[in-house]
Amino acid sequence: MKVLELTHVNKIYNSTEVKVHAVNEVTLDFMEAEFTCIVGPSGSGKTTLLNLIGGLDMPTSGEIVIGGTNLSKLKSSQLIDFRLNNIGFVFQSYNLIPVLTSLENVEFILLLQKKTKAERQQRAIELLTQVGLGDKLHKRPGELSGGEQQRVAVARALASRPRFILADEPTANLDTKSTENLLEIMEKLNHEESMTFIFSTHDARVVNKAHRVITIEDGGVKSDLVQQPH
Amino acid sequence: MILSIAWKNIWRNNKRSMVVILAVTLGIIAGVLLVGIMEGWIRQRLDSAIYNEVSHIQIHNADYIKNEEINLTVGDLDATTLCIASLEDLKGWVKRARIIAMATTPWANTGVMIYGVDPEKEKHITEIYKKIVPGGGRYLDMQSPGDILISDKTAEILKLKQYIITDSTMESLRGQNVPESLLVKLGTLKDKRFRSPKDFKEAVKKEFSKKEIDRYGRQITEKALDYRIRNKIQISISDRDGNPIQGIFRVCGIYKTTNTGFDQTAVFVTAGGLQKLYGGDEILTHEIAILLENIDDVNKVKDKLSGISGDNTVDTWKELAPDAAMMNDFMILYYIIFIGIIMLALAFGIINTMLMAILERTKELGMLMAIGMNRRRIFAMIMFETIFLTIVGAAAGMLSGWGITKILGNTGIHFTGWGEGMEAIGYAARVYPVVTVEFFIFTVIMVIATAIVSSIWPARKALKLNPVEALRTV
Repeated sequence: MKVLELTHVNKIYNSTEVKVHAVNEVTLDFMEAEFTCIVGPSGSGKTTLLNLIGGLDMPTSGEIVIGGTNLSKLKSSQLIDFRLNNIGFVFQSYNLIPVLTSLENVEFILLLQKKTKAERQQRAIELLTQVGLGDKLHKRPGELSGGEQQRVAVARALASRPRFILADEPTANLDTKSTENLLEIMEKLNHEESMTFIFSTHDARVVNKAHRVITIEDGGVKSDLVQQPH
Repeated sequence: MILSIAWKNIWRNNKRSMVVILAVTLGIIAGVLLVGIMEGWIRQRLDSAIYNEVSHIQIHNADYIKNEEINLTVGDLDATTLCIASLEDLKGWVKRARIIAMATTPWANTGVMIYGVDPEKEKHITEIYKKIVPGGGRYLDMQSPGDILISDKTAEILKLKQYIITDSTMESLRGQNVPESLLVKLGTLKDKRFRSPKDFKEAVKKEFSKKEIDRYGRQITEKALDYRIRNKIQISISDRDGNPIQGIFRVCGIYKTTNTGFDQTAVFVTAGGLQKLYGGDEILTHEIAILLENIDDVNKVKDKLSGISGDNTVDTWKELAPDAAMMNDFMILYYIIFIGIIMLALAFGIINTMLMAILERTKELGMLMAIGMNRRRIFAMIMFETIFLTIVGAAAGMLSGWGITKILGNTGIHFTGWGEGMEAIGYAARVYPVVTVEFFIFTVIMVIATAIVSSIWPARKALKLNPVEALRTV
């Protein structure tokens, strides 16, 4: 089942003297439970594409439809609610709330969804246990390693039961062991929760784990390959 | 959880938050203290005006107010007093004779207003009997119609207040641990009579160093002070036919209120004693003073009395002591202006701190917007942070301010150096600061309003962030 469709999507930045065509006529479909990797050199438009898919930015032209909803037709406030309920984000630099514990960070997104305290706690503990942090529920981000923080970020992204997870270079700040560990967890969640993962990366280890690899160059799709993960 | 995050956020940068909290605390302490002093002054002035000078309501012959002549007594006295007696919620009322007079001693004279009163009844209406100065004799009594009660100021003018160092003064100062070396110096002034405080101070200045005067000057002056109790004063008035007449009274006591202006003119004798002077069978009533149980009833009582008072005028304390009334009314405006200025100054500090906090957390705010925290919640979070920051400081400030005011309210603050000037305009030299519950409620409202207003700018700045750009910041 299609969870995401991009049709002739363009993004042009006019803010500088020179027009920048960051995303150029991209047309892509993403299916449920895909484990997709977007690769490309720096400045190729990977992050811009993820921002457009995540509704953080609006395309200059073209359509992005998620579960039947055209993002361009949503008002700013509707878009925030849409992101809350449909998209999970994992950022390169974790971006956890430093004053909250791991448990509270995961609970926070459920609070925004107005879930009860009991529901929030149950889901947050379940996810943190799944990512191997059941014993660090009450640690603050500052007390966790980079890999552990990124696992909390993944748990947070999954907490709201989104349609898919967008991860922008999630392993860029992690060492080899943490990267492998994180990829294992994401693969496991991909299987167990049938969760669609779309991430941008430079990291060959991440690319190897992907089922589908989309290569972007100069804002356009250069290749779109399905592969056997290894 | 938004409240919890907001609370935790203010402690991210402890030092910065503490600086703002300290600024708010000190601002509020200053506000509480200054308003407390002002409130204390005004209350003391109001109490002095009502309980020493004018009571709540006074009735006079309408013409007496314009021209204070002996014949202009209260009209329809029986009907008027009957009506007053029928009123409810009165603490008491008195009749007084009130005549312009000249007071003379062998050394000086001064114009005074002489009151003929019933000393016992007067105790229920005015507190002059409580204002007898130490060593200043006693209050009037009906058994001594030849006595006169004058003020410390009048005593000074009439040279009945003198300073003299005697053996007993020296003994008394020795008992108060004044060093022997100082007593030796003081011996040079022994048995010399100074008839004005100024002359005495000048003489003391010549003998002692500034440090010694600062340390012991007040003690020496107090012990050297001697009122010439039982001295005679000649009182001259115009009788009912306009002829000048004189009588002799003996000083029985010296009083002192916080209003030198009042003290300078008001002298008291018994109603019978004054009647003997102006002659005739009748005790004259120029003034009826009424004290109510509740000050708020003045207008209601005035209206009742005005209906039956004929040609008399009925005046409330606000009309009789307009300065006190004006200050009392001005107090609310003073609250608003003073606390308003403090809050305005604090608001800039708070805004600056919050803008810094927003700048530092741009990336985090971008993340919160990205994951689905709506604008209303972000606005609320920033607003709560600002409110918490302000409220913590305000609570500390109000608690400390209350404590300091409570202590100073018991000990009082003596404005040495300005005392004479302040008493000349009716305000006490020693002020007992007071803070009311209303003031605290008002301050809390002002603090919350300041916090909300101060939060708008930083919160709007946060809302204007573009999540994509915010996430790109380092």
